[in-house]
Amino acid sequence: MASHDAHYDPTPSEDELEAHLQTRNMVVNLGPSHPATHGTVRLRIELDGETIVKMDPEIGFLHRGFQKSCENVTWTQVLPYTDRLDYVASLTNNFGYLTAVEELMGVKIPERAQYIRVIGAELHRIASHLTTIGAAGLELGGFSAFLYAIEARELITDRVTELTGARLTTSYGRIGGLNRDLPAGWEEKVLKSLIKIEEHLDETDKLLTRNRIFTDRMRGTGVITTEDALDFGFTGPCVRANGVNYDVRKARPYWVYDRLDFSVPLGNNGDNFDRYYLRVLEIHQSLKMIRQAFKDLPAGPVMVDDWRIALPPKEDVYNSIEGVIAHFKLVMEGVPVPVGEIYHATESANGELGWYLKSDGSGRPYKCHVRAPGFQILSGLARMCEGRMLADLIPTFDTINMIGGEVEQ
Amino acid sequence: MRLGVVFTGVFLILGGLFTVSALGYAGGALVEGLVQEKLGISGGGHLVQIVLMMLVMVMVIATLLTLAERKWSAFMQDRTGPNRARIGLPIIKDMALAGLPHIATDVVKMLTKEAFRPASANRFLFALAPMLAFAPAFALFLIVPSGPTLTITLPAAVGGYTSTVMMSPTNPDSGLLMLFAIASLAVYGTSLAGWSSNNKFALLGGVRASSQMVSYEVALGLSLVGMMAAFSTVRLAGDDGMAAMQAKYLWSFRAGGFDIGLPQWGIFLQPIGFLLFFAAAFAETKRAPFDSPEGESEIVGYFLEYSGMQFGLFMISEFVEVVVLSGVLAAIFFGGWSLPFGNEWLTNLQVMKDFPILLGAVFGTIFWVKVVLLCYLQLVIRWTFPRFRYDQIQTLGWKILLPLGLVNLFVSTALILWDPSLKALAIAGLLEIVAIAMLTLTPPRQVRREQAEAEHHGGHGHDDHATPAPALSAGHSGH
Repeated sequence: MASHDAHYDPTPSEDELEAHLQTRNMVVNLGPSHPATHGTVRLRIELDGETIVKMDPEIGFLHRGFQKSCENVTWTQVLPYTDRLDYVASLTNNFGYLTAVEELMGVKIPERAQYIRVIGAELHRIASHLTTIGAAGLELGGFSAFLYAIEARELITDRVTELTGARLTTSYGRIGGLNRDLPAGWEEKVLKSLIKIEEHLDETDKLLTRNRIFTDRMRGTGVITTEDALDFGFTGPCVRANGVNYDVRKARPYWVYDRLDFSVPLGNNGDNFDRYYLRVLEIHQSLKMIRQAFKDLPAGPVMVDDWRIALPPKEDVYNSIEGVIAHFKLVMEGVPVPVGEIYHATESANGELGWYLKSDGSGRPYKCHVRAPGFQILSGLARMCEGRMLADLIPTFDTINMIGGEVEQ
Repeated sequence: MRLGVVFTGVFLILGGLFTVSALGYAGGALVEGLVQEKLGISGGGHLVQIVLMMLVMVMVIATLLTLAERKWSAFMQDRTGPNRARIGLPIIKDMALAGLPHIATDVVKMLTKEAFRPASANRFLFALAPMLAFAPAFALFLIVPSGPTLTITLPAAVGGYTSTVMMSPTNPDSGLLMLFAIASLAVYGTSLAGWSSNNKFALLGGVRASSQMVSYEVALGLSLVGMMAAFSTVRLAGDDGMAAMQAKYLWSFRAGGFDIGLPQWGIFLQPIGFLLFFAAAFAETKRAPFDSPEGESEIVGYFLEYSGMQFGLFMISEFVEVVVLSGVLAAIFFGGWSLPFGNEWLTNLQVMKDFPILLGAVFGTIFWVKVVLLCYLQLVIRWTFPRFRYDQIQTLGWKILLPLGLVNLFVSTALILWDPSLKALAIAGLLEIVAIAMLTLTPPRQVRREQAEAEHHGGHGHDDHATPAPALSAGHSGH
């Protein structure tokens, strides 16, 4: 600050009084520990009054050595690490990773498992979007909207707990399908919850979207041009808000998305409001998809019938030599993934979640790289905020929905 | 059981308000009489109102509001709210007591925490700022009357004085002008707090606060000129003050001794003035949606470096401001202590004539009930709206409130000149209320558009294109 400047001369000369007031830009650190940075990210901001002149996001506070950890465990044991990437929507990570490994192996999982993966992924997409919407409200001062959204998310968390046994770190699914089928009576519970979620979503939506203050703060702020968005590698709601119709679920359908009737909402301004409202619309699409998936859900196994990939039933492990050997080899050596490499992407809540996997046939990943959608989007944050006001950073940071876990790995 | 608790609570609150009001009249009469007798000067009764109304009522309501805010917001948000603190006494040691012990725990926490001062802060200004923030908020209540002016005769046992009691802490001729003067002092506390902490975030908060408060002064003053013109006075208290004038009727008829009619409440005469004043005064209290100086998710606020009771002073001054604003609103726009009907009937009851203290206490209770309801309204607004951006606040103040205030002033004064009985003004006011209600009830443009689209092709959402994605993926996913 000026008063601490060593060169500051307190006796003004005549010229100085007539000259323009000498001002200097102020540098503030938003984060790593700051209410608006939900993960731990440090935003070094140069301010001219309230205007952001320069901004420099610095990540790495949540770095856990994801890639190196993956190289030291079997393909199956990578699964718990993927929970911690996008911890708001861990099922999309779980299934995304598993699908990439299955693609690499050339395994086709049973249809029922594919449907259940759609249900799980869409449930967590809703959870992630609700969190984003609610947090956008919260950070703009609308605490009630946040709690309505979180209450809806809590219903999903409860259902996911019944399905997987964990609230956040789901580790659900295995290479070749799923480790367990749906619990009894789960479908009815989910369908009931969906109705509740719709009610809460409508409340949140009315409280925020119909609020002039909220829309004024969201519209026209945090704008990024389509060219910039594509150059930075934006995916997911952030690029669809610019009107770019790119959704991995439609562009390269996986699981049973090609059989489901859903549409991809598009924005056209690329501002915070479009990114926010797109998520509201996407939740409606996801709700629709889950209902369809439950309607079409076929009976049958949820795991491939191949003891080199799937753990044999306990009965066979205890009573047959083949079962014991298969169990032993799977646990000790891991799933035999053939030599090769692959890039496979699924649509996570924040965009294209890509997996670059390389196998040397040893039972452990030789290389496991994640293209986390948040990383590219965070790198574009400075472009969206520079020259705008400090207060605009807050909703922008919300609607890009940076998740520390996946960005910093 | 639950209903019983609610009724007990309501009964206790009303009883408390009634008792304090009655005490105000009795004490006022006694002290007024004593001072008159011993010193020969009138106006001693105001001392009692300063103690009772400002120190007791405003302070107690503000303290209870700290809990009420947490409880009411919890009810709005499907939560339980604070209910963990307990008092370790025999019967009540396992009872939550509606969270009341939390007030005590909050206070104890604030008082026992270290009042930390950053090494680089300006020692004097840092200590001065919380006081400067607290005092003006508190002093605003000086001119608010919480009951009618009555002549009270005390029984001979307590002196037997007969004296006129005015239920306001003071009644200066400057009236509302004094309110504006004191209100503009509050900005020093916040801006000094932001500046003296020598913290960049606090400085930003202080700058935001001072710009916001300074620019809203204009709209604040302008919005009340209509009321001043209507009643030809700037005073609130006294028989010719705004509060007493509002008890009169514009149109009325009597149904068997009971009078019904449309009173001259400020809200009917000046609905736009009310909205402008409410918005501007809300901005002065620095609570959501005008809490960008605090903006806890962006810059944490001008009181960032304060801890302990110094921080507590900033917090409690916010709540005091809520109570005082409610009091001012009730006195200017909601008829002060008067009921919308039946005032004359109540005043003319024989029992009221025999015991004027009773009449005063009833009217005092009515006033405080209005204050509590207005506090509730403010809390509902605070917990519903998101926060404005700093420049949007300025836009609202200078480009919307100020021109609206000017137009309102022009139209109102013209109507008052044309028809001094205020009937024309009231008709215009009622039309304004109808217009505002219709504007509020009409769905916004976006909703109308969505409804129209839904009728056209049965989809929902305005961006909803059911087109499949083009093959855009090939380029950058490399697969």
